Amino acid sequence: MNTKLTLDFVRETIKEWGTAEQVRSNRIKITTNPENIRIAITAAQDMLLCDRLVTMSSVDNGRTFELIYHLIGPHRMVVSVATELPRDKPEIQSMADYLLPAGIYERQIHDLLGIYFIGHPNLKKIILNEDWPADEHPLRKDWKQNPDTYYGGIKGERV
Amino acid sequence: MAVPMTISQQLVNWARVKSPWITLFNSGACNACDIEVIACLMPRFDVERFGILVKGSPRHADILIVTGHVTLKQASRLRRVWEQIPEPKYVIALGACGASAGAFHGLYHIVDRVENVLPVDVYVAGCPPRPDEIINAVVTCLNLLQEDLVHGGKDWRQKKAFEIHESEKIPGVVTP
Repeated sequence: MNTKLTLDFVRETIKEWGTAEQVRSNRIKITTNPENIRIAITAAQDMLLCDRLVTMSSVDNGRTFELIYHLIGPHRMVVSVATELPRDKPEIQSMADYLLPAGIYERQIHDLLGIYFIGHPNLKKIILNEDWPADEHPLRKDWKQNPDTYYGGIKGERV
Repeated sequence: MAVPMTISQQLVNWARVKSPWITLFNSGACNACDIEVIACLMPRFDVERFGILVKGSPRHADILIVTGHVTLKQASRLRRVWEQIPEPKYVIALGACGASAGAFHGLYHIVDRVENVLPVDVYVAGCPPRPDEIINAVVTCLNLLQEDLVHGGKDWRQKKAFEIHESEKIPGVVTP
């Protein structure tokens, strides 16, 4: 159980769906396609013994949306399953039914970056104000505050 | 243009200057400024010997101390607190956040500065400001209060726009 997870073993396991690289001594990054994300996470859980989700991170790098699932197991190696989504159609299969804690992270990412998770049971607002416009996502690089819209009960231009 | 005052008014004004009551409002700050205000009340600085009291209710207060960048949710609450303070009222924006949101400038969930929500009389620099600077800000407010009493209101120190000469104006257009 406590055997160390090696890069060669990870490469061998996931060679059909993606590439792996050692980004730090305790972290292996797996890059895959959005279509294969479910298979890759299932494989990481079953074969690489990464049974827990640490966090989900996402970033808008100007060209695409990067989405990373960070998984950890009893071998104390973090396996980061990374994928890139196109800006014009940011959609991906939800992992909420398989990885339960992923659901709440996906709601947050849906709020802030506008990535749509297909099959999520409850994709509601979680972090933004109730009256925030549904089509505005504040962590996108091209987002600008509209002075004519109410955000959190107030509107207006910043001085 | 000094305004003549009755004896009772003079008495009220004397009492106002002698004992300013303040209320503290945290509009999303990191609590460092609040702790510095509390340090003012502790025995080392002990502002109560000058008659400065911190009141829980804004209806009892003369001076509002606002700490922090104003988050979108807190903006309407802050405005409501300010509206409940009886005139004459003064606002102190504490710290770098109160002046320009500091490290948080330009974020999506804030209104950037206290002045976007209500008129501020005194800014205090620092992150957080020292207790003696906060006492100095309260004293500055009292000096402003005395000057306002002489001038009969706050209008004399409002920022005025440039005045346009009669010959430059478009005939028939009324500018406020």
